[in-house]
Amino acid sequence: MNASEYLPKDEVAIIGGGPAGMQTALALSERGFSVRIYEQKEQLGGHLKGWHHLFPHGVAASDLLGQLKEQVLARAVPLHLGQSVDRLQKVGAGWVLWQGERPLGRAGVVVLANGFALFDARRKEEYGYGLYPSVLTAADLEAVFRKEQPWPFGSDRMAPQVGFVHCVGSRDLKCGSPHCSKLCCVTAVKQAMAVKSLFPEAQVYCFYMDLRMHGLEYEELYRKAQVDYGVRFIRGRLSEAAPGQGKRLHVKAEDTLQGRPLHLQLDMLVLMSGMVPAFLLEQQERAVFLKEPVFGSGFVPVQGLLAAGSVVQQEGLFASGACKGPATLPEVFADAAAVAREVEQYLKSLKAVAHA
Amino acid sequence: MPKPDFGFAFAPNRALDLSAPLLPEVQVVLETEPSIRACMACGQCAAVCTAGAFTPLAFYRLVLQLRGGDVAAVGERARHCMLCGKCQMTCPRGVNIRNAVLLMAALAPPKP
Repeated sequence: MNASEYLPKDEVAIIGGGPAGMQTALALSERGFSVRIYEQKEQLGGHLKGWHHLFPHGVAASDLLGQLKEQVLARAVPLHLGQSVDRLQKVGAGWVLWQGERPLGRAGVVVLANGFALFDARRKEEYGYGLYPSVLTAADLEAVFRKEQPWPFGSDRMAPQVGFVHCVGSRDLKCGSPHCSKLCCVTAVKQAMAVKSLFPEAQVYCFYMDLRMHGLEYEELYRKAQVDYGVRFIRGRLSEAAPGQGKRLHVKAEDTLQGRPLHLQLDMLVLMSGMVPAFLLEQQERAVFLKEPVFGSGFVPVQGLLAAGSVVQQEGLFASGACKGPATLPEVFADAAAVAREVEQYLKSLKAVAHA
Repeated sequence: MPKPDFGFAFAPNRALDLSAPLLPEVQVVLETEPSIRACMACGQCAAVCTAGAFTPLAFYRLVLQLRGGDVAAVGERARHCMLCGKCQMTCPRGVNIRNAVLLMAALAPPKP
């Protein structure tokens, strides 16, 4: 295939059909560009599919997802579901998208919007995820809220003891994840409040190192959890979870504010698994590979201003949303608009050259 | 066979047991003055405390000890407070510290 065969300059391919991909597609489609979404799963939605309700206002995740999908359908954005792009080949000024040996399509611009993966909590062996059924991840607890999974304790427990561990696989060099996943703090607060709403007699503890309530109304939510819901915040990282009395877990930590060790029996332990890269971007002269991440892999590197979407060293390749690093939904939506603008500038600059 | 020891053991006499329910008198304090729950142990109350410069009074520590059930020590230390109210003026979370201190001081056995 040579450069002259390449035609659809204005076509933008978006890899990933989660909130970042859908919102970027919408922003570009509204600007009159022709966009397509390539999604590896059979459905749009990404991680948003697994959420029950969203912080800080408790909006149902299915409502937001429904609205996004509706808009994507209303704009008739072509969807390539079940197609997993693993290689981009530069041809002329544009790209050919490959899945193995099969070409999936072509585009003038590619926007990576394939998000993040959740840290595999089994790697923190001291917390016993996968060993003890009462140890869940935050994503598992959302599935419990969605009634797709049962509570890990019997229905006779009206006053369960529940612990949340912040920073599991985040801020942890031993796990190869030096970064803060930044939305686990507020997620834990949201989930702790939800547990207290469902079990008013429950004792709920959050084990934190710092509470990073960076977003609009997150700090207010934290205070509400303390005062109105009686959630207790213990500063100290859990050292281990072990079998306790009956089906309970015995956990140990240091209360670093009191400088004293503490232990307690829990009916459920929730691990706030952080966000880690979903793929490793390997950049070559005229090709980009999307590979399995390895220990210490980083997110997609971008250049320029903080919000920039242009991928380092690659013209016509952009990145949108949480594939660049942990981001909340409002941040992802704002980023999608910023990336769409950058893509527009890029395509306009190509036209200006062509007409010169 | 002896149990394996990974060195995670701790002195039981120093360890806090969070599984133990809150003492009824502690619950009364927390329910009478719910703003205590808003404490995030920033320590500003202790930094401005005049009484704290000369005595073991530090309000945020009283909150932590209260939850730990150490009511005798909490009551004893709360009595060092002069109720000047600087802590309450400075508290970023709006804790009604004076009322909290009075409730805490009442936890100690009355002086003979």
